[in-house]
Amino acid sequence: MAEVELRNISKSFDGVFALNNVSMTIPDGAFVVLLGPTGAGKTTTLRMVSGLDKPDRGDVLVNGHSLAGLTPAQRNVAMVFQQYSLYPHLTVYENLAFPLRSPLLKTSEEDIKVKVSRVAETLQIAHKLDNKATALSGGEMQRVSIGRALVRSPELYLMDEPLSSLDAKLRADLRIELKSIQADSGATVLYVTHDQIEAMTMATHVGVLNEGKLIQFGSPREIYEDPVDIYAASRLGQPRINILPADLFGHAPTGATSIGLRPEQIHQGEGQESLVTRVEHLGDQTRLHLSLKDHDLTTVTDAHTQLAAGDIVRISPQNPFFFDAAGDRIH
Amino acid sequence: MVYTPIEKLAQATPQPMAQKVRGLSDRAIAWIFVAPSIFLLLAVNIFPLIWTIRLSFTNFKVNRANRDIEFIGLRNYERILTDSDIWMTMQATAHFLIWTIVLQVLIGFALAYLINMKFKGNDLWTTIIVLPMMLSPAVVGNFWTFLYQPQIGLFNYVVTFFTGGDPSSFSMIGDVHLAPWAIVIADTWMWTPFVMLICLAGLRSIPDSIYEAAECDRASKWRQFWTITVPMVLPFLMLAVLFRGIENFKMFDLVVQLTGGGPGNTTTLTSIDLKREAFEKWRTGYSSAYAVILFVTVFGLASIYVKALNKVKER
Ligand SMILES: Nc1ncnc2c1ncn2[C@@H]1O[C@H](COP(=O)(O)OP(=O)(O)OP(=O)(O)O)[C@@H](O)[C@H]1O
Ligand SMILES: [Mg+2]
Repeated sequence: MAEVELRNISKSFDGVFALNNVSMTIPDGAFVVLLGPTGAGKTTTLRMVSGLDKPDRGDVLVNGHSLAGLTPAQRNVAMVFQQYSLYPHLTVYENLAFPLRSPLLKTSEEDIKVKVSRVAETLQIAHKLDNKATALSGGEMQRVSIGRALVRSPELYLMDEPLSSLDAKLRADLRIELKSIQADSGATVLYVTHDQIEAMTMATHVGVLNEGKLIQFGSPREIYEDPVDIYAASRLGQPRINILPADLFGHAPTGATSIGLRPEQIHQGEGQESLVTRVEHLGDQTRLHLSLKDHDLTTVTDAHTQLAAGDIVRISPQNPFFFDAAGDRIH
Repeated sequence: MVYTPIEKLAQATPQPMAQKVRGLSDRAIAWIFVAPSIFLLLAVNIFPLIWTIRLSFTNFKVNRANRDIEFIGLRNYERILTDSDIWMTMQATAHFLIWTIVLQVLIGFALAYLINMKFKGNDLWTTIIVLPMMLSPAVVGNFWTFLYQPQIGLFNYVVTFFTGGDPSSFSMIGDVHLAPWAIVIADTWMWTPFVMLICLAGLRSIPDSIYEAAECDRASKWRQFWTITVPMVLPFLMLAVLFRGIENFKMFDLVVQLTGGGPGNTTTLTSIDLKREAFEKWRTGYSSAYAVILFVTVFGLASIYVKALNKVKER
């Protein structure tokens, strides 16, 4: 049971905010994905929760109790580090067993062996158990680092881009494994990623961070279908949302300076004439790069489309987003 | 045609020379480069060694160079290994070696550990602590004789300040039981900073993130020390021990300056004894055998040790 609350957390390094008044409430058993560009403060958020860093202001609460003053060990959180942080002088087995050897857990050697081999199996590194931690590829190190968190059963997992160095297949496998481990254990997870498939498929909640501020917090659908500003809107969606001048298609609400169009918000067949500049066949979908009055936009179309560069397509917006000059959404 | 800077340089080389170099194989060029070092090594290391081994089977005396040299087989070795005085110097050397290494490792590591904690002014402290190492051993030996002076010496004063009693009631250098400790203390004072620097390098090589991971893995500070700090500093520490061991096996200047090998023979280390045999008694053959025995001992110990060191590094 772990309901986590971040309450008005601020943290600055050398006078620059890494986190600026961030608040979020993470329900028990939630899988929260933090999205944001590099330097947004994602790692810093995890470090606040783990207790590796202290917030300048604000508080982290678990089940209503403040964690202020508690060490990472006392907080009982497991963390997967962005830079792996394996113990270089130990073997993979010893790395995985390390958390279990904590006197706080009192695990017998027998149990350690069982747990380590189960985790190694899950992460497909069972054949590397005797390797030294430094004699591994980047992806293998990353899996050991995940394994070190998974051998324990804490109430809260903190994972900092845990699948970033893996190949596409392994990433897809482990996405499912991690999600099912989380679902089975009921643990709460805070998960950082740049991969929007991970965000969309694993998250129960998404937190969008930018320059230390929490822009929006909600379910992936909510962020996708009802973004609060241009920034949140461009975090999710492949291809990315097209941001164009608001009056490009005629009438626009007062105050709107830009219009946001996701591919499904672009109706093809009627409306303005646009020129097809490039056609990308991706297999399951085909991307159209269009040029409309000197503005570029990207949309998707039928996988077996006959369209080619130089053709003309008529397009019109369908339930688009409008944003004001500050980038905030206008309803 | 575009030339890289190196090609331009090559073209600047005078034609005949360039051709000559080009005519040589890579192997030949390699030999040309290493030949001077090999020659020097042979001349100043290998040849004297072989010559010493040869002399060790003779009764040669360098101050009677005109006398016929007689080969006497293993007689020199026999006499050395059965000489109880030499076993005494061996014991004195072992005492000196073991205690200097133990003390320097313990104190050096502890100092490095303290300095490595991030506190204000630790750079200044490092500089201050390292100072003794930069002095000449002869100078250090000389001023420790003053420190150990029973009447005016600071050492006796400080010791009796804590233990009570009369400062002039004991003499570190004059007492047969205390003199071996006097040289241990002086050497430790001088060389602990060296061990500390090497340990500090080891400690600084451990990234903070590893401690952070251990922190999240719920390892106590105590456990972090024994499972992370110690194993990761160990190769550095063993290297320091190797350096100090070899250095102190041939210790001469500091001890000669401090005690001159006395009182009696209590601080006569093998190197001092050897020097006396070779250049005071002029027993060249005998001292050659002595040197060979020491060489084999150090060489043997060092190779065993280096093997162990490599094993630790591989772990
Ligand atoms: N120890 C530190 N000292 C100084 N500045 C720091 C420190 N840690 C983080 N910062 C700064 O805080 C900001 C947020 O950093 P953070 O590591 O949280 O980014 P991130 O969102 O995890 O980025 P990435 O996706 O690249 O990992 C950055 O501008 C960074 O430079
Ligand atoms: Mg990060």
